[in-house]
Amino acid sequence: MVAAAPTTSDELIYQVIGLKKQFDNGKVIALRGLDLEIRQGEFVAIVGKSGCGKSTLLQMLGSLDKPTEGTLNYRGRSIPDLPDPAAYRAHEIGFVFQAFQLLPTFTVLENVQMPMFEGKLSRSQRRARAVELLESVGLGHRFNHFPSELSGGERQRVAIARGLANKPSVVLADEPTGNLDSESAVQIIELLLDLHRQLGVTLVLVTHDMAIAERASRIIRMKDGRVLTDQLAISH
Amino acid sequence: MTFFTIVLRSLTRRPVRTCLTLVGISIGIAAVVTLVGMASGYEKGIGKQLDAVGVDVVVSNMSGGLMPKMFDASLQKKVAALPRVAETSTLLMRMMSVEDAPIMMISGREWGGFTWNRMKVLEGRMLKDRSEKAVVLGTLAAELLKKKVGDTLQIEVEELAVVGIVDGQSMVENGTIFLSLDVMQAISGDEGKINFLDIRVPPNTSKAEIALLCKDIKVIFPEGRAMIASEVVGTSQGFRVVRAMSWSTSLLAITVGVLGVMNTMLMTVFERTHEIGILLALGWRRRRLVAMVLCESALLGLLGGVVGVGLGVVGLITLGSSPGVRGFIEPDLNPKLMLISIAIAVVVGVVSGLYPAWRSSRLTPSLALQS
Repeated sequence: MVAAAPTTSDELIYQVIGLKKQFDNGKVIALRGLDLEIRQGEFVAIVGKSGCGKSTLLQMLGSLDKPTEGTLNYRGRSIPDLPDPAAYRAHEIGFVFQAFQLLPTFTVLENVQMPMFEGKLSRSQRRARAVELLESVGLGHRFNHFPSELSGGERQRVAIARGLANKPSVVLADEPTGNLDSESAVQIIELLLDLHRQLGVTLVLVTHDMAIAERASRIIRMKDGRVLTDQLAISH
Repeated sequence: MTFFTIVLRSLTRRPVRTCLTLVGISIGIAAVVTLVGMASGYEKGIGKQLDAVGVDVVVSNMSGGLMPKMFDASLQKKVAALPRVAETSTLLMRMMSVEDAPIMMISGREWGGFTWNRMKVLEGRMLKDRSEKAVVLGTLAAELLKKKVGDTLQIEVEELAVVGIVDGQSMVENGTIFLSLDVMQAISGDEGKINFLDIRVPPNTSKAEIALLCKDIKVIFPEGRAMIASEVVGTSQGFRVVRAMSWSTSLLAITVGVLGVMNTMLMTVFERTHEIGILLALGWRRRRLVAMVLCESALLGLLGGVVGVGLGVVGLITLGSSPGVRGFIEPDLNPKLMLISIAIAVVVGVVSGLYPAWRSSRLTPSLALQS
C-alpha cells in the first residue's frame, strides 16, 4: 500500500472539557475532569498505566458509555445527547479492539458486513464493499474462513476492515496490538498508519507501548483519570 | 448475507437446544390440532348425521351430557299439533359399550318415522315391525362389532338378531346400531321415555319461521329446548364442555411451549450479551436487535407450528382410527385449523421473544462488551 502524507485540518473533531466518569456509585473514579481536543486527521496515541482511564475515555469518545459529568462534543454536538447514538457509532466511528471482537459464528466476509446493515447498501453492494476491504488488508484469500481459523494478526486485520466498513471519520483503536506477537503487532500498526494516511481518518489509539505511541503525531499521557502531558511525538 | 442469515445462524448454532424448543412448541400445536380437530370432527359428524336423516329441528332436554336426559314421549302429540310441523319422530339414544366394542351409539327409533327413510339396505333386510327384537347395523358398526346378517348382538341382557346392514349416509349413522324405539325402551326399562324428538318442517319454510316454531315448542316444553338442526351441536352443553376441555388442554400445552421458547430466547440473549455488545458498538440500532431476537423466536414458532401440525395430523388420524372413537367421530383435517395453529405458534414465538428482546435492547454497549 502506498502511503500518502497524513493531512491534519484545523477542524475540531472532539472537544472534551472536565470529563468525569464514575462507576459503582462513585466508589470507582475512572476520569477525574479530563480536558482534551482532537482535530480532523490527527493520529493521537493515548498512553498510561493500566487503570489510568484511557480505555474509559475511548468508550466515551465512541459513545459506548455516558460520562458522569463534563462536556464531550463531536463536531460541536454533545455525544451523550445525540438523538441517535447508534447512527454516530455506525457512520462516524470505526472500532478496533484488543480482543478483536469478531462474531465467531460468522465468516470473515460476514463479519465485515455487520456494520453495513445500518447503511443503505444493497446485499450485493455490502458484499462487494467487504471484499474490497478484506483485499485491502491482505485477506483476499480468507473470505470464507471463520475467526477461529485465523491467526491473531489476521483477526485484527478483519477487525480493522470491519471498522472501516461504513467509511468512518474516526477510528478508535483500544490496544489493537495487545494480543499480538511483536511481528504481527508491527504489521497491524503499519496497516493502521497506511489507512490513516490514505483515507485521512482521525486515528485515536490507546496503548501502553511507547514504541507504538511514538509512531503517532501526538501523544497524550494519562494518569489517574487526567491528562498528564499532551505533546507532539518526537518523530513529528 | 441478509438479516435473515443472521437470524438463522443464531438458531443453528445450538442445534440441540433449538430442536428441544421446537419439540416443546410442536407438542402444544399438535395438541391443538388433535384435540380441537376431534371436537370439531364430532360437531361436523353430528351435523352430517342430522342432515343425512333429514331433521330440521331437534327437541331435547336442557340438562345432560353428550346424551341429554330423557323426557316423556307424550310431548310428540303436542308438538305435532303445532303449525309448521310436517313430521315428527321420537328417539331414545344411548352411547354404551356393546360386547367387545368399547363404546357404540345405539339408536332406538320410532318405527315408521322419517328417521328410517334414508337408510339404504346393503345386506339382509330392514326390521319387520316395531316389536321385532332385532337390529340393523350401520356399515362401520358391523365392521367394529365384527357382525354379519344372521349373527346375534347382545345389548344389556337382551340378545337381538342382526337382520340387516345399512348405509346411513353419514359416518355417525354408519357407526350406529339401529333398533325399534319400543324394543329399545323395553330393553332399558324406559317405557314411554325418549331423549330426542326430531321434527321436519314443510319444504320452503324459512329459518325465521323455524325459529318461531322453536319458540312455540319452548312454551309447551319449558324445561327442554328446540334447536335448529345445524345449531344442535354448537349449543349442546356437553359439546361445549368437550370444546372447552380441548382448548384448555391445548392452551396448557401452548403455555408450556411459550415458557420453553422464552427460556431458550432468554438463554440466547444471556449467552450472547457480549455479541450484542459488539453489534451495538458496530452501530446496530436497538430496534434492529429487538427485531433480530423477535425474528428468531418467531421463526422458532413457525418451525414448531409446522412440525406440530404434522404431528397433530398423525395424532388425529391415529385417534380417529382407535377403537373407542372410530364410528362416531370423524377427525377434522381442516386446513383452516392448521393455518390457525401455525399462526398461534408464530404468535407464541413472538410473545415469548418480547421479554428477551427487551432485555437485549437495554444493554449498555460498554458493559455488554465486558461480559
